[in-house]
Amino acid sequence: MRLLKAFLIGLMFVLCADMVAARRMIKPSEYGSVTIRSFSHQAGLAPVRFDHWLHRSLYTCRLCHVDIGFAMEANATRITADANIKGFYCGSCHDGTRLHDKKIIFASCSVNATPEERMRCSRCHSVGKNVQKEYNYASFAEKLPKGGMEELIDWEKAEARGLIHPVDFLIGVSMQRQPLNAQKDFSITSRSTWMPDIIFSHKKHVMWNGCEVCHPDIFPSVKKGVVKYSMLQIANGQYCGLCHDRVAFPLNECDKCHANPVQ
Amino acid sequence: MNKLKIFVVVLVAAISILLLAPAAKEGMLSPAGAAYAQDDWKKEFEAICSKTQDSAALSPDELNNLVDRCNKLRPRIEKLDETQRKVYLKRLQMCRDLFAFVLESKEKK
Repeated sequence: MRLLKAFLIGLMFVLCADMVAARRMIKPSEYGSVTIRSFSHQAGLAPVRFDHWLHRSLYTCRLCHVDIGFAMEANATRITADANIKGFYCGSCHDGTRLHDKKIIFASCSVNATPEERMRCSRCHSVGKNVQKEYNYASFAEKLPKGGMEELIDWEKAEARGLIHPVDFLIGVSMQRQPLNAQKDFSITSRSTWMPDIIFSHKKHVMWNGCEVCHPDIFPSVKKGVVKYSMLQIANGQYCGLCHDRVAFPLNECDKCHANPVQ
Repeated sequence: MNKLKIFVVVLVAAISILLLAPAAKEGMLSPAGAAYAQDDWKKEFEAICSKTQDSAALSPDELNNLVDRCNKLRPRIEKLDETQRKVYLKRLQMCRDLFAFVLESKEKK
């Protein structure tokens, strides 16, 4: 019996270590990266590697996922070169005329591209290629606060310290909105007695996401207790897990959500 | 007298051409209705979707009205070209869903 117990405990440790190791395999520079391969193959191009870290340091989630209309699921938007050329999706910013940091943002796609222009394609269509990117994660992240086991960028702290200033409005794309009335924070009772309750900050989420990113698609009810969230569902990418553990901070940073001291 | 008539007619024609030529060049003449209509749907779209920000503070009547406006705007967006249709239908749907969601939440309280 003792041998069996020891074996089970040992097995648990091995499984946990495996899980941690598997998570650790994602480099901070690749955390949140999305491979977009909707039509690249038909166009004779490599799939696009989209770096969330670069874009989220400049723009809020809402700007891209509401105002521009990118789906919250990889490849669900079905982005075409034609749409980009017409100034939608990537072309909303990457139009060859808009400025960022006093530099022109390169145009995303073009018709009848010259050989020189085709060189530009690989700035985005870079999967499987050895492309020297203009922005380097290591130098970018150097001065930003980090946290958690994986030493990922703590975006919330970075913004609070004024190190990043995500833009929430894009001329010609976004619409003028009333100033935001942030909803109150609230607590969600933990389903495990040994785990502190969750303090959900509406303010933090609304500032970056607005309302329509989360409601009703991700959270179809606001009535307390109607939906029973489980960590298994969240780890499977439902509810909080749609962003957390994919783009937003990972699930192993338990105390960021389970922040209410146990009474 | 005839000469004067001809002169007036020619003058009116010339002035008309001068005034209308630049407008025609800018495409304001033939697809004028279309351009105006396009502007029109976008204004309505922006007027509706700019309200998502404070949707929780709106009354059920206001929310119902916004849902109705979304429903009315939808067929107009469906007539746009493929890309615009895809982008704006999705955006409109997000706005509509949020208003309906807030309305439902308020009614359940």
